[in-house]
Amino acid sequence: VSFELGAIVSHAFQLARTWMTARGMPEWGALLTTMSVETIIVISLVLFIPVVMVYAERKISAAMQARLGPTETGPWGLFQTIADTVKLLFKEDIIPVGGDPWLHRLAPIVAVAPAFVCFAAIPFGIGLIPVDMDTGVLFIFAVSGVSTIGVLLAGWGSGNKYSMLGGIRGAAQLVSYEIPRVLSVVPALMLYQSLSLRVIAEAQQGRLWGFFPKWLIFYPFGFIGFLLFLICSVAETNRTPFDIPEAESELVAGYHTEFSGFKFALFFLAEYAYIIVSSAMAVALFFGGGDGPTIAGGHSISWIWFQVKMAPIAFLFIWFRWTFPRLRVDRLMQFCWQFLLPLSFVNILATAGWILWRG
Amino acid sequence: MMPPFASILFYLFAAVIIFLAIVSVSARNIFHSAIALTGALSVVACLFALLGADFLAATQLLLYVGGIMIIMLFVIMLSQQRHNAPQTNQQWVWAAALSLTVAGVLIYTFRDSFKDVPPTLAMQPTTARIGQLLLGDMLVPFEAISLVLLAALVGAVVFAQDTLPPSK
Repeated sequence: VSFELGAIVSHAFQLARTWMTARGMPEWGALLTTMSVETIIVISLVLFIPVVMVYAERKISAAMQARLGPTETGPWGLFQTIADTVKLLFKEDIIPVGGDPWLHRLAPIVAVAPAFVCFAAIPFGIGLIPVDMDTGVLFIFAVSGVSTIGVLLAGWGSGNKYSMLGGIRGAAQLVSYEIPRVLSVVPALMLYQSLSLRVIAEAQQGRLWGFFPKWLIFYPFGFIGFLLFLICSVAETNRTPFDIPEAESELVAGYHTEFSGFKFALFFLAEYAYIIVSSAMAVALFFGGGDGPTIAGGHSISWIWFQVKMAPIAFLFIWFRWTFPRLRVDRLMQFCWQFLLPLSFVNILATAGWILWRG
Repeated sequence: MMPPFASILFYLFAAVIIFLAIVSVSARNIFHSAIALTGALSVVACLFALLGADFLAATQLLLYVGGIMIIMLFVIMLSQQRHNAPQTNQQWVWAAALSLTVAGVLIYTFRDSFKDVPPTLAMQPTTARIGQLLLGDMLVPFEAISLVLLAALVGAVVFAQDTLPPSK
């Protein structure tokens, strides 16, 4: 008996493929069918993320501000986000007269589609990775960068000066913070000599002196790398204290001012999906992935440990939003280029020095 | 007889690239042109992935779509008004001749290169080999290109300054 979800899922898909080929389906057709089913499962789970995250965000922020948060809809207000979702889906879709209708339609799609694609390369436990590719880390950085185009399209396509300013600010911020974000994970790539999240996570298994986990976070440069990655990830999701592109007090709602209903919901979905992508990447890169104690009989349950580690990191994103004030736009860029970027270079140099010294 | 699935995808991607490339040179709105070019470059990345160049595909997306095209859109947003740009200027004859010459040379050079496209080989990890080449055999050309880029960066900063630094 195995408690590894990855093994169970891959076995089920293998059985399905055998069943289909035995009934005269070509090999590639069976593969395409199972991969489509896999894709649909991943997409459904991603669609469920904002429902959970928005509820968590509202309850946590309420606790931090000595309020109750949603209480009326369902037990403990659990159905509040479902009600909100239904409301958003039924709202009228408005395309501004002065805007560019095609760009306005395209923007939410370009912003949200890469968020789904990113989940393809994330190892949610041993064997539980949709596509095990050799360049997983690079793939996620490359694909998530495309979302920036969605912000620009929204800013230009709305035909509104606030949207336009939000779009320009967003592009400048996202391009800038992308650089230290990529550099912050380089120590992990250097130490474990791979670009695959699965290989990096599995390389961190094992115990020092029999009990201490060998996770990257416990190395000094791993800790600095994690802090850099976390700060830049918050900036990449456009959340406070880095929400300059949508600063309410200056720009109404920034690049998504003119979006209503379903399109607005898509921008929201992208934001929360990227929080989960960043948390999952942080777990795989710095916290040993699905590494953790085994349950009775030595069965490992890596997929549960992965979720258990992911939740506190997602909590950090919410915590930051409700405790830090917003940065001014020039300070924001200064912080990135004059502090985060040099620090990430020093961190890489320190890692290289340690690898040389270790031999 | 059904053609292989990879072939269908290959010709689909190729058709999309050609369509988007035509849109990007024929659209009246310069922002639409830039978006079509972005789409074409993204589909080129898909083509690289299909042909087994995983590292190249990710780099194409990271640099061209996530970097260069964002800067290009940024410049259009800062500098352009919402009007339809003229599509040609007085030098279109020479430009067309030059483009046709380049196209002819490319077609001539690669006339034998596409015998077995898409390749039937399995995906091979390429990243480690590329890294060894860049920091081993190809170190000098690699660093030389870095120097050229550094010179371009410094030049851009000098041009962007409001006033030239005071000379002694």
